[in-house]
Amino acid sequence: MKILEHNAGALTNFEVLDLLKSRGAGKDPTRVIASVSASEFKVFDYLEQTPACNQTRDIIHKFVDECKKFDLAKAEILNVVNMRPSSAVEVYTIIEECDTRMEEKIDDFVEMILQVLPAHPSQAEPNEESGEGKEETVQ
Amino acid sequence: MFFLSEIEHTLRLPPYLLNRPLNEAIKGELDSLFLDKVIEKLGLCVSVYDIRSIDGGFIFPGDGASTYTVRFRLVMFRPFVGEVISARLKESSKDGLRLSLGFFDDIYVPVPLLASPNHSEPDPEHKNGIRWVWEYEGENYPIDGTDEIRFRVHNVSYPPVPLEQGKDSDEKESEQKDSKPFAPMVVTGSLDADGLGPISWWV
Repeated sequence: MKILEHNAGALTNFEVLDLLKSRGAGKDPTRVIASVSASEFKVFDYLEQTPACNQTRDIIHKFVDECKKFDLAKAEILNVVNMRPSSAVEVYTIIEECDTRMEEKIDDFVEMILQVLPAHPSQAEPNEESGEGKEETVQ
Repeated sequence: MFFLSEIEHTLRLPPYLLNRPLNEAIKGELDSLFLDKVIEKLGLCVSVYDIRSIDGGFIFPGDGASTYTVRFRLVMFRPFVGEVISARLKESSKDGLRLSLGFFDDIYVPVPLLASPNHSEPDPEHKNGIRWVWEYEGENYPIDGTDEIRFRVHNVSYPPVPLEQGKDSDEKESEQKDSKPFAPMVVTGSLDADGLGPISWWV
């Protein structure tokens, strides 16, 4: 076995999830039939719990474009896409020397993340339900 | 967390697979050979991404199987130092915490890298377990298994395969009695920064 290329590209959680889904991984009932092995299913289960389960390619492209204003390293953008920090505290851990590089732009950055990247379903549900309830009563 | 790595491998395709289409047979062989295995410096193999080329198909004298030189890409789980990952608590002991990702369990957070200042107390739920508690501004925040724990990767190491311990790999009971089963890839994490630790501490 020879290693030709140690690192042929980084993948976001979303891309790996997409790959597994395209092979046929899904939630419980489809497990027996799909050509996906048990260990791949464990990865699928883990990724379904992360914010990656709601993302699409367009969202990620849009996010990367928006990040150009903030001068971030590729690894930091990858981390943010995978983790979807929803507050300034969480951004501090991901981005090195946040104070010197970002200064006041942190709030803009967090704002942009909240707008572009969708939240994990368990976090988003209460907002959506209350929003829909209000619309129905008005109509 | 996940990277692609390109590998070239000389694959021996056993004769009982000759009636299957070549691509399928090779993919099946690659799966059984690489999936869920750790390759040193590359990480844990999660999945075969694609097959770039298949060459050869020669049959060596004295052998019934054909041998192919296959180039393919694998999706490897290889956390880089400084990456922030969410995991669940697997067990907590006097040496620190052990976290699990479902498909990968060997993530250790040793005591010096836990959120400081902290202290440990006997766990009320598990008989012999220890629970770690973070002290911050007079409040005590325990680390228990209820929600996800975020940690930053401090180090990734690939300990060499031990040669001496129990030469028969079938005798797993005797290995577990003495020491932990061998882990080919160990990730050391740290919880010592703002935003790390159980999510409930920060949200």
